[in-house]
Amino acid sequence: MSTDRVLAITERIARQILRDRRSIGLLIVGPLIVMSLVGFSLYEQREILDRVAPGLLGVFVLFFTFILTGVGFLRERAQGTLERLQTTLVGSFDIMLGYMLGFLIFAVVQTVVIFTFTIFALDIQYKGSLWEIGVVLFLVVAVAVSLGIFISSFANNEFQVVQFIPIVLAPQIFLSGVIIPVEQMPEVFEWLSVVLPLTYAVDALHEIMLQGTDLTNVWGDLAALVVFSTALLGAAVATLRR
Amino acid sequence: MQTTAVVEARDVSFSYGTREVLSGLSLSVSEGEIFGVLGANGSGKTTLMRMMVGLLSADGGGLSVHGNTPSARQAAQVGYMPQLSALYQELSARENVDFFARMYGMSDRRARAEAVDEAIAIVDLADRGGDTILNLSGGMRQRVSLAIALVHRPALLLLDEPTVGLDPDLRAAFWERFRQMANAGTTILISSHTMDDAAHCDRLAFLRDGRVIAMDTPSALRAATGRADASLEDAFIHFLRMSD
Repeated sequence: MSTDRVLAITERIARQILRDRRSIGLLIVGPLIVMSLVGFSLYEQREILDRVAPGLLGVFVLFFTFILTGVGFLRERAQGTLERLQTTLVGSFDIMLGYMLGFLIFAVVQTVVIFTFTIFALDIQYKGSLWEIGVVLFLVVAVAVSLGIFISSFANNEFQVVQFIPIVLAPQIFLSGVIIPVEQMPEVFEWLSVVLPLTYAVDALHEIMLQGTDLTNVWGDLAALVVFSTALLGAAVATLRR
Repeated sequence: MQTTAVVEARDVSFSYGTREVLSGLSLSVSEGEIFGVLGANGSGKTTLMRMMVGLLSADGGGLSVHGNTPSARQAAQVGYMPQLSALYQELSARENVDFFARMYGMSDRRARAEAVDEAIAIVDLADRGGDTILNLSGGMRQRVSLAIALVHRPALLLLDEPTVGLDPDLRAAFWERFRQMANAGTTILISSHTMDDAAHCDRLAFLRDGRVIAMDTPSALRAATGRADASLEDAFIHFLRMSD
């Protein structure tokens, strides 16, 4: 692994996204619109709002990182830049890590914006520290980047990447406990939620942000996210074979 | 004069599924020469190039670059310009070249800046280096792609149809530059399907259906037709007919 090559990829991703004004708008304005809709429609039902808001943080990071990585990597494949990269000294893990760090920057920005909005506009009181939330979100980014790269190998164009949303993301949003607590779902869905990475992210975010527990108390969730991200990383790297 | 083989292919075969692309292909490229691989579309030129940079592995036979099985580990010595310009559209020409220089292992910022300046100057894009790829013409993108291939000053340049889509002026400028690099010791292997390019090469291999049907200097290939006024195109057709 080369630190300089990883950082070069991270810088490149950051530059590409920063120059794409629409993507920046999507990253910032999109979550704010959804948070406003959810927040103001549930404004009088504080209990529900308090429970839904932390999970949505995980949803946004997963959703946008998956879409941007999927489309970004599809372009890498279609434009021939991935093949060109593979004729240089850069390794598959350098590429993956560079992508993850690049998107982590935007995930952190997104988190800070959503945080500020929910605290000041929706009057939601969080516990826990930002860096601990950041650790959970990094693991969500790792899952989303690997998933995006893996899925991009099955798509021939951007339209096809978007078509994976109902298959890959929708079950996670509905079954991971963001909207309805997992234990209140029918047993079959409860079982299904076990194999969805977002379930563990949502649980960890709930624990940290609502209960004020620290990372040591959510190690099971973190371990599950590490296992998911490692497995997906392996699958993604397999699609990068020369 | 004894010359060293930089690229050596012996009886190389390769298939995409059941479709045979290279079949018993043999050739040898010496240090410091410009070697042209000429053939029609689908004759196996790009497949051969992709094998030389380790993107594909031969099904049979032996292929070596600098005495080793081709792989990305040799990237510091090999510059590859693919047929697609393969550039990041949102980045400037300079940022693209700088990024790939880092991928080639040039981590020292100052040395890299000099190498990037030099590569951009070689392709005559110093005044457009700050423009994003989206704002450059097709010919300019080709030049950026070439700058990437040579930014780390490789000993071997593999250029897959580098002059496609270039206007005559630019094509002439490219060839002038290739000759200067070859004179300085760089080995250059170029694939092309145009006879304009072929005339600039020191030696040529004519490819047909993944097989070398003739290999020699341009003048020797022309002479082999038996006609004093034969062009390289005549020579190519002559060998195609002989291989029927």
